[in-house]
Amino acid sequence: MAGTKSALVLCMDVGFSMSNSAPGEEPPFELAKKVIQKFVQRQVFAENKDELALVLFGTDSTKNPLDRDGQYQNITVHRHLMIPDFELLEEIENQVHPESQQADWMDALVVCMDLLQTETKGKKFDRLNVALLTDLSTQANQDHLDVIIENLKQAGITLQFFLPFPAEDDEEGGGDSDRRGPGHPGTGKGLSREQKESLDLVKHVMLSLDEEDGLDQVYTFRDAIEQLCMFKRIERRPMAWPCQLTIGSCLSIRIVGYKAVTEERLKKMWVTVDAQSNQKEDVKRETVYCLDDDNETEVKKDDTIQGFRYGSDIVPFSKVDQDQMKYKHDGKCFAVLGFTKQNLVRRHQFMGSQVVKMFAPKDDEHAGVALSALIRALDELQMVAIVRYAYDRRSNPQVGAAFPCVKQDYECLMYVQLPFMEDLRQFTFPSLENNKKLSPSDTQLSAVDSLIDSMMLVQKDDDDADQKDIFKVHHIPNPAFQRHFQCLHHRAVNPGTPLPPMEPWLKAALERPDVISERCQAPLEEIKRKFPLIEVEKKKKLKTSAQIFGKDAEEPDAKKAKGDEEEDYNLADIAEGSVTSVGSVDPARDFRTLIKLKSLPFGEVCQQLTHRIEQLLSNKNTHYYMKSITCIQAFREQSVKFLVVEEKKEEAAVPSAEDTGDVDDLLDMM
Amino acid sequence: MAEWNAYYQNEDEDEEQEEGEQSGGDYKVTGRDSLVFLVDASKEMFIKGEDGEPSNFDMTMQVVRSVYTSKIISSHRDLVALVFYGTEQSKNPRNSFKYVYVYHDLDEPGAKRVQEVDALRGEKGARLAAETMGSGETSLGDALWCCANLYSDIKLRLSHKRLMIFTCRDEPHRGDSAKDRQARTKASDLKETGVIIDLMHLMKPGGFDVAPFFRDIVSQPEDESELGLHLEPCDKLEDLQKRVRAKEQKKRAMARLNLCLGEGINVAVGIYATAVTARKPAAIRLYRETNEPVRSKTRTFHMQTGSLLLPSEIKKAQTYGKKQIVMERDEVDSIKKFQDPGLYLIGFKPMEKLKTHHHIRPAVFLYPEEGEVKGSACLFSALLMKCSERNVFALCRCVSRRNYPPRFVALVPQREEVDEGKVQFTPPGFNVIYLPYADDLRTLDPPQCPSASQIQVDKMKEIVSKLRFKYRSEAFENPVIQQHYRNLEALALDMMAPEDTEDLIMPKVDQINHRLGPLAEEFKDLVYPAGYNPESKSVAKRKTAIVGGVAEKKPKAEVPEDELRAHVQNGTLGKLTVPVLKEACKQFGVRTTGTKKQELIDALTTRLAA
Repeated sequence: MAGTKSALVLCMDVGFSMSNSAPGEEPPFELAKKVIQKFVQRQVFAENKDELALVLFGTDSTKNPLDRDGQYQNITVHRHLMIPDFELLEEIENQVHPESQQADWMDALVVCMDLLQTETKGKKFDRLNVALLTDLSTQANQDHLDVIIENLKQAGITLQFFLPFPAEDDEEGGGDSDRRGPGHPGTGKGLSREQKESLDLVKHVMLSLDEEDGLDQVYTFRDAIEQLCMFKRIERRPMAWPCQLTIGSCLSIRIVGYKAVTEERLKKMWVTVDAQSNQKEDVKRETVYCLDDDNETEVKKDDTIQGFRYGSDIVPFSKVDQDQMKYKHDGKCFAVLGFTKQNLVRRHQFMGSQVVKMFAPKDDEHAGVALSALIRALDELQMVAIVRYAYDRRSNPQVGAAFPCVKQDYECLMYVQLPFMEDLRQFTFPSLENNKKLSPSDTQLSAVDSLIDSMMLVQKDDDDADQKDIFKVHHIPNPAFQRHFQCLHHRAVNPGTPLPPMEPWLKAALERPDVISERCQAPLEEIKRKFPLIEVEKKKKLKTSAQIFGKDAEEPDAKKAKGDEEEDYNLADIAEGSVTSVGSVDPARDFRTLIKLKSLPFGEVCQQLTHRIEQLLSNKNTHYYMKSITCIQAFREQSVKFLVVEEKKEEAAVPSAEDTGDVDDLLDMM
Repeated sequence: MAEWNAYYQNEDEDEEQEEGEQSGGDYKVTGRDSLVFLVDASKEMFIKGEDGEPSNFDMTMQVVRSVYTSKIISSHRDLVALVFYGTEQSKNPRNSFKYVYVYHDLDEPGAKRVQEVDALRGEKGARLAAETMGSGETSLGDALWCCANLYSDIKLRLSHKRLMIFTCRDEPHRGDSAKDRQARTKASDLKETGVIIDLMHLMKPGGFDVAPFFRDIVSQPEDESELGLHLEPCDKLEDLQKRVRAKEQKKRAMARLNLCLGEGINVAVGIYATAVTARKPAAIRLYRETNEPVRSKTRTFHMQTGSLLLPSEIKKAQTYGKKQIVMERDEVDSIKKFQDPGLYLIGFKPMEKLKTHHHIRPAVFLYPEEGEVKGSACLFSALLMKCSERNVFALCRCVSRRNYPPRFVALVPQREEVDEGKVQFTPPGFNVIYLPYADDLRTLDPPQCPSASQIQVDKMKEIVSKLRFKYRSEAFENPVIQQHYRNLEALALDMMAPEDTEDLIMPKVDQINHRLGPLAEEFKDLVYPAGYNPESKSVAKRKTAIVGGVAEKKPKAEVPEDELRAHVQNGTLGKLTVPVLKEACKQFGVRTTGTKKQELIDALTTRLAA
């Protein structure tokens, strides 16, 4: 939960036994390292205030505050408690290796507890936790076991164990360890005496801390990796919006609103940096204003005023005047305009991007009763309140509906914005059912029927009324976020390498469930047979260079060049004013004219045109892009002609004029 | 607070279009839309109805005015013309047609035109019309010819051309077959150039018979059903307004996609935005000297060298945990790409699985595109019928454009509905409801409150029943936008003060109080103890908060430099509040464009880490 923060110590065994593994299996060390990496990665991207420390044991050296008189040896505090960052990730990647000593995991636990106690002093943490990753191969010193457990309880430190093998044997499975397959390597080998003893110790500790569910906090490495694959959901602290629901001026009920559903966005935006230096300070964006004349005369921002369009009129309207004349209201409100039947508020007319839930304030049970009366009345009558809603003085008021919501453990009103008249577009569409040509036949309809049968995602159990939904969208994490963080992480840790493919689990989560795919095979084939679908030939929507330059653009064609010559050309154009340089209004025409007139050398005219194209491209605007494409077209066309002439002169092979790839890039950019 | 506010656009702040999704339906606009009102000005049009009902002419002028003003708000670049026929006076570009009066030629509607149409309304309007135009002979052929000239005089490219005839005379030439013939020829000429001719026929004694003459004049409806030609004449303003509105807006698909049911089964569909949040338009900058609009150009250049940066010379970066992560621009795009655009069917669910509160965006509308894939309409129609019959929705994965990450949507069937006048008020198709991902749902901690007793609930039911009304979505105007346009109108027309707007979303407090009578008190007695005042508590709180807030804000929040550096070192800057961070930015002369916490932190980190 947001608003709370925790301190966590990752305590990992790097001792020599961790590198032992059966042939073909990943050693426990590698698995444990992966768990830590995935976890730290998640914390880094979540950017919450949780702090993290890393303690390694079984290290060749010793570095910890309790190191005294030969006690607490081979335990290293690798990182003190602080907010995790990529440095830590890199350290784990490059500095955490299997080492050759062994250390007592109980000692390591004491070091972690000491670290938590000393380093959280003066800071407020809601949760203190130690996660131990070990294969339990060393014998643990049990002398101070009771003291340790007592200390854990008192300090409120929770424990988690991550082991290469499951803590509990499958009771029904008996000794049939093969059944688990490759999921849990290490179990097949059988545990050593030390491991068995330690495991009992672990169980003892965990059950003393939490009698009932203590063992739930003992995980295998495999399970942990799978669960950690998903990046944390973006969570935000719900903000309270206290207000009063009013019905007329005599009746009001105190309420508190919380945003319950809204389209979450990534917290960070991409910033533009210079490709060479990677510094954003090197890049400056500037907006200039210019008149719509031939020279595109620039004007200062101070010399501009604000105006608005009123149809064909443009009305100067200063900010001051606008503020004075604009719609003003009394601010925050949640006022009932009236009540209406629920079915008159259509689902597809919901506007805005959020649902706000309204509760009574926590400490006001009278408001709770009053609100409950309203919620239940609406629920029983199948009605909703139509309300005026304004978040505060500065925001625009809305009209919306408050739906009653009665749940097992709470009641609330759910507010959704509704449209204004100006938002609606009343389109009419040709009738489908009344059109004899389009009407599906009975056999066609029954094909659709069996398709729906085969593709129902909610399955009714025969035994009871329970329905099982096998595809819950609101349980899927936003794939865009998952992919985003996957790529960021990859780039951060492996700079200079291409981005990785999408993770398989994510891909699978977005697909039709396998059961459905199998079941709908036959009905789909039937649909295919019953409904002929013929694609209507159309020109491609995406413009390619070939379309812009004409079909044969790839090969400079002498004949074509000749043929084109007389087109697009008339003397009037040339006669119309004398063209002396490539201007900005119609650079392509000027260019053609100048080439035709031969008043300037070919090279110079080309240079003038390229200069204009560069100018055009510096503006981020489709209009300018299109203009520059016309220029490039003209450039190409004239160059081809020029080449043809030159070729005739020299009979020499000249390479093709332009690489069209650049133009494709240009179009992609748009 | 900041978080909540982020969802409410501050006035005047240019809103960044959210991934272009909200930009409405106008994709690939290739020209201007145009609309010509061809209005009968004969004596019959001016006859008032019984009980002082407005005349047909008056009604038509009201409709024209409302189209003008709505065009100004929603699509100011459309061209509109107003032409009268059957007039005594003539006024047209070359004055080559008699009895045709071009009141407004094809142009963008503006404030002046609205005023001029206003002048033709009501009693006064009828007098003005009689003075300036009068009623004379009728030649619809000439009128249509004149309109054809209006179209051909336009140098702009027109994408959608529509002409609406408003009349209450079904035999305008009283059996003059030569004139009838000429009108038919001119009408078919017009239709050949792509003009769609509609008839908005109005009430006349004895009924309006479309068959003898107008059937050949108007365009054939898009489909073969009877819906295109309204056989019943309009006698109510509301009806006429509805009919005109339905025709006047050109529907444009936001996107054309394939709805893929399975391998090789692709139904072509168009996505339409039927409700788009109307916002106050962005201000335009004008040159102070001449009031002409200026264009803005944004350029990216290198700070040191001052040279313009080409797209290839910039990259994109984000900073996490003190580390800058850099990507190429096309990598940033490719991260967002999952599949090609399209809708992919996952399966079906019963309607009750669609939760009311699973709402993150306004819905869009789906209709088949027979022109892209033949057979689409039939399969689409079958799906629609069956989903509706079985009360299920289709769950689809939806990628709406190139390089957009997928979202899941519910396709909710909607059958066609028509009113008594056979005017469609609900089109057939699927509503597309966007569904939230796990990230979009927030965990709340609902307070434990006692529930109301049945007596309390019943009292509230009485209150609810007293305040029942029939909700219609088009009943509420946006007071902010209306006020804005009234202001502009006043300025454009040099009016002394803007016309008053009625705030329709203001509760009618007096009426509510009156209707409730003693019920409010009775309810309060049932739920509130004596002396409880729901208003007092929070009001008192707020007041102290304001007083306290002012007092507390005064001392400047400053953090010593070494402490700040320590925060930077430990990555714990996030602990500081935004005002403190802002102050720190000032202290170190760090200039930030953003005001978001993360931006401030990033700026400070780069400054202090160096």
